[in-house]
Amino acid sequence: MKDEIALTAYKCKKCGKLHYPFHDRCLECRGREFDKVKPQGNAKLLTYTAIFNLPWGFDQRFLILGVAEFQNQVKAMGQIKAESTDKLKVGMPVKPSWEPIRVQNGEDVYGLKFEPM
Amino acid sequence: MRDVAILGVGMLPFGRRDEDSLMDMLAYASLKALDDAGLGDDTVDAVYVANMGGGMLQHQASIASSLVDRLSLLPAAAETIENGPASGASAVKNGVLAIASGHYDTVLVAGGEKMREVTGWRATDFVATMTHPTAEYPYGITLPGMAGMFTRLYMEKHGVTREHLLAISLKNQEMGTRNPFAHVEMALDREGIFDSPHAVVNNPVSADPLHLYDLCPVSDGAAALVLCTVEAAKKRGKPYVVVAGFGQATDTHTLAERDDPTDLKAVSLAAQKAFAMAKLKPSDVHVAELHDAFTILEIAESEHVGFFKKGEGGKAAVAGKTRLGGQIPINLSGGLKARGHPVGATGVAQMVDIVWQLRHELPENRQVKNAQVGLTVNFGGFGNNVLCFILRRVEP
Ligand SMILES: [Zn+2]
Repeated sequence: MKDEIALTAYKCKKCGKLHYPFHDRCLECRGREFDKVKPQGNAKLLTYTAIFNLPWGFDQRFLILGVAEFQNQVKAMGQIKAESTDKLKVGMPVKPSWEPIRVQNGEDVYGLKFEPM
Repeated sequence: MRDVAILGVGMLPFGRRDEDSLMDMLAYASLKALDDAGLGDDTVDAVYVANMGGGMLQHQASIASSLVDRLSLLPAAAETIENGPASGASAVKNGVLAIASGHYDTVLVAGGEKMREVTGWRATDFVATMTHPTAEYPYGITLPGMAGMFTRLYMEKHGVTREHLLAISLKNQEMGTRNPFAHVEMALDREGIFDSPHAVVNNPVSADPLHLYDLCPVSDGAAALVLCTVEAAKKRGKPYVVVAGFGQATDTHTLAERDDPTDLKAVSLAAQKAFAMAKLKPSDVHVAELHDAFTILEIAESEHVGFFKKGEGGKAAVAGKTRLGGQIPINLSGGLKARGHPVGATGVAQMVDIVWQLRHELPENRQVKNAQVGLTVNFGGFGNNVLCFILRRVEP
């Protein structure tokens, strides 16, 4: 686990629309300049799923994934740290962290994980 | 713009076709369409091939050039169109525009995919490559996973239930048993997959809350059609089918960036454009082929194109309104759910099925009586690139 969530969102300098992932032009006003924004605080789970047919590159039985919204409105996908979906609920608070999410070419790839609170 | 007609169609039975290469399938389906069009030994001006995975799965590029060579259509112009699972309708659209513009008079469109020669997890990964390369794909998300997250939201917001989803599985797999071109020709038993204790084993969760039988199979297959001018179609002296309207729209790449992820804006916009061009409305449609890669999508698309109000699509399916003889019969081919989903072939296959409906050529247990107008929705990515076509029968 890393100390910092190494994910960057982009706020349009002209209209204020928040983007993640990066777009070269603002979805709202087509502005091209953005302020970098770090996701802040805990997050709220917006939706989730557990998948049992994993793609090539994942050596496990299932994977729980979801989309969550941080306190400063950044929305992003992440892997959910849970044994099943039984205790998950849309709207529940989750604690974000930056951890290995898969191994590619023998190296850890880091990304978002959400732990139900 | 000139009006465009569909002069001939052809399809190979979908399924696991170990004996055929991708090129074999594309060639066989094309020959069927050329023969159906009555072109004899004539050539065409251009060829558009819809294919998503030739590069990744078969390690093959420039597939359209290879097809004109096999079919001796030289020196016809040739292009391969890769637009994810919407490649099929995209290729048809390019063919239609080419004729409508007056540049070409006769165009062959072929869509094909060979997905069963790789393992299931390779095929799942191949389809997942259309998700966002940094914000989605690395997490291990799959298209069924995207559909699972979408279903959870759609259930909460629009009251869709597993009972509604079940109605789609049962209807489409039953229609598959009546379609010799379908991959899955096995009717489902409600008790076996829903009501009994065995249901947990027979129909396990695949992408929560979606179960195994909410998903389409992984298939090999190809379909083709020949486009021409209305003048050329008229000369045949038989009823023919014209492209009355089409629309295409895109949406954000990630589901997370949509203000309301249950709102499939690209589907609504594509359908609105198609209806406006055709000067028709949803109640004018007699038969539809919707992109039910997952059962939830048939329900959501039936609402987004305007057949039903939001929240009514699932109930309509349960009430039989989308069956043969119902208000708007949907996926009488069995849909992607039963016909199968060789990704590049699907959009073309949907139109082939609608052409058969509008030419009144199907057996009684699949034919909508006196069908005059048909609609297709070909859904790419997770709704980020969608095409809607409206086809109409014309008497000579
Ligand atoms: Zn802006």
